[in-house]
Amino acid sequence: MKKARLLVVDDEENIRFLFKEELEEEGYSVDVASNGLEALDKIKQAVFDLVILDIKMPGMNGIEALNEIKNTNKNLPVILCSAYGEFKQDFSSWASDGYVVKSADTKELKQTIKDLLSVAKPL
Amino acid sequence: MNQLDILGNIIAVSHSNLEMASRIKAILNIVSQETSFDEAIVYTLDTDKKLTCRYKNDKSSLFHLLSEYRSHIGEGIVGSVAQKRLPESFTFKDLPPRLGCLFYPDLEKFIKKYKAFSFLPLSDDSYLYGVFFICSSSKERLNNSDKAFLSMVAREIGGILRSNQLIISSKKRISELATLSELGKILSSNAIPQDILNNIAFIIAKALNASFVTIRLSHSFLKLDTQRFTYGVIESESEEEVKKLEEEVKKRKEILSLRDLAAEWHNNAVINSLLTAPLTSTGRFLGTVTIGGPQTLSGPAVEENGRYLIETIANYISNGLENTLLTIKLKDMVKELHNAQKRLLEQETFRNLGEMTANIAHEIKNPLVIIGGFTKRLAKKARLDHTENRYIEIIIKEVARLEAILNEVLNYAKESPMVIRESKLTDFIDELVYLFTSDSAWEKIEIIKEYDNNVSLVPCDDQQIKQVLINILMNAHDAMKGDGKITIQTGHKSINDRPFASISISDTGGGIDPTIIDNIFNPFFTTKEGGTGLGLAISNKIILNHGGHIQINNLMGKGATFIVHLPMKNNIIREEII
Repeated sequence: MKKARLLVVDDEENIRFLFKEELEEEGYSVDVASNGLEALDKIKQAVFDLVILDIKMPGMNGIEALNEIKNTNKNLPVILCSAYGEFKQDFSSWASDGYVVKSADTKELKQTIKDLLSVAKPL
Repeated sequence: MNQLDILGNIIAVSHSNLEMASRIKAILNIVSQETSFDEAIVYTLDTDKKLTCRYKNDKSSLFHLLSEYRSHIGEGIVGSVAQKRLPESFTFKDLPPRLGCLFYPDLEKFIKKYKAFSFLPLSDDSYLYGVFFICSSSKERLNNSDKAFLSMVAREIGGILRSNQLIISSKKRISELATLSELGKILSSNAIPQDILNNIAFIIAKALNASFVTIRLSHSFLKLDTQRFTYGVIESESEEEVKKLEEEVKKRKEILSLRDLAAEWHNNAVINSLLTAPLTSTGRFLGTVTIGGPQTLSGPAVEENGRYLIETIANYISNGLENTLLTIKLKDMVKELHNAQKRLLEQETFRNLGEMTANIAHEIKNPLVIIGGFTKRLAKKARLDHTENRYIEIIIKEVARLEAILNEVLNYAKESPMVIRESKLTDFIDELVYLFTSDSAWEKIEIIKEYDNNVSLVPCDDQQIKQVLINILMNAHDAMKGDGKITIQTGHKSINDRPFASISISDTGGGIDPTIIDNIFNPFFTTKEGGTGLGLAISNKIILNHGGHIQINNLMGKGATFIVHLPMKNNIIREEII
């Protein structure tokens, strides 16, 4: 089976590195971007199965990037992953498909990715 | 010396700088020495409307007899001349049988040596000052020239009496004005109402030479501890009379003396001199001011002289008290405003502090996730012995703890929006109490519930209110070291005319140290080992967001009571959410 392609978007290099390592270990193919604009570029150039998006980033923040992504690729699942826990309750109002509070424990993130990919319709 | 020269002398005396009594006596002496009149006597009209035989020539022999009696206006010849204000002249033969209040047989042996008598009113257009009486043993009767002469003398004496009266009344007026000015100063001062009222009583007593002055305020007014302010001593036997008079004045809203009442009640017993005036402002009855007459003088001095002044003073005090009331109200409002501003500022500080905290927490979170994440990876990849694994586990556990604290901080800074529902407070108190009492750490704690059945549904976010109650109950538990009594009461009351429900939680944990009580709502302030210092800060914020507040009643050595007040109407909350 073809590996699912994930895009990790975070301005913090070591977070990108951590998530890449953890998720590749789960059997995903992982690409990274350091801000919203770079992420949009990458999505134009290649096909991804899921995007993991930080919220607070310089340049274009996660919420803006989310709207751009959903405008062009309505069916691409996006998980917001932020240090802010208070938005978790109403993430759906931002049209994202999941919300994970950033943690050293990546269990929740992995589970959310798995859930979303299992229901996502192949393009 | 002819009559013109004599008149000249009299006018000179009359316009001299001598004191009044000396001038009148000098004139009377000139009249008796230079003319053929043996007796020259002046009656004066006193404030009690009686004529008193007051001045005489040095050689007068009738004065000692006449001065023993005072006559009313209209009584005898003296009284009738005073009443009609027309001079009368008689010879001994046609002299009426009654001179003043004296009748003949008594007088006869004294006056039978005189032949001609004359009585002249001492008056001007509007006032009567007295009567000038003169008689002669040598003159058979008075001719026209005598009459003209005497009327000139009478006019001079009248003039002296008149200017004296003017001086007296202007002195009185000045002293009244001085009193009013003193009152004005007191009333416009910043002193507390009690001092103002005591000072007023003192000033009035001094001005009227009263034995006591007592001001009684109606109960609804000013809401002071005492309603009566007295200067001087009210004799115990007068107390009842004072109260009776005050009640009557309250009923009639007019100035009254005890004598007025006695006359109405046909009570002729000897009574104290008492005068009471109502204090009213814009039709509202504020109280009474009562003046007790001087004890040494049995005369009706206070009633007679004081009525006008009392009326003015009463008006003055009424206006002053009204101002005092307004000032007090104003002070309360300023205080209220100040508190509101302080609360607003507090909320603002919280918000700013919250934002700053959120930023810091956010910045710490990333490196923490990285440390924790890679430590986990390290643990997975590396082949480590038991000790090394323990170290790694400690790092991972501590990172997890830090993350939990940061989540709490971030949650505090930006709390989730409220979900307001009409909730029954007692339901979730019961729920919490059940939860706690099933915990072994709570087995030594007795929980007493006292519910007010009038508190029904309260609009609130029940999850948040539960969080608040948990915080307060946990603090109570910790303060009592797990052993003691907690009383939970519900209630309701009006604050600024708005209905509030309350949940009061009292413990027996010895109370809160007064030096820290101001800090207990500050974020990160804690007295507990390992505490975050956010519990009460979050609780306070939640209640403030509900439009309510938390009140603390601290009894050092006994315990603390936390009272959560929540508005029963949720329009404030709606505003807060928007």
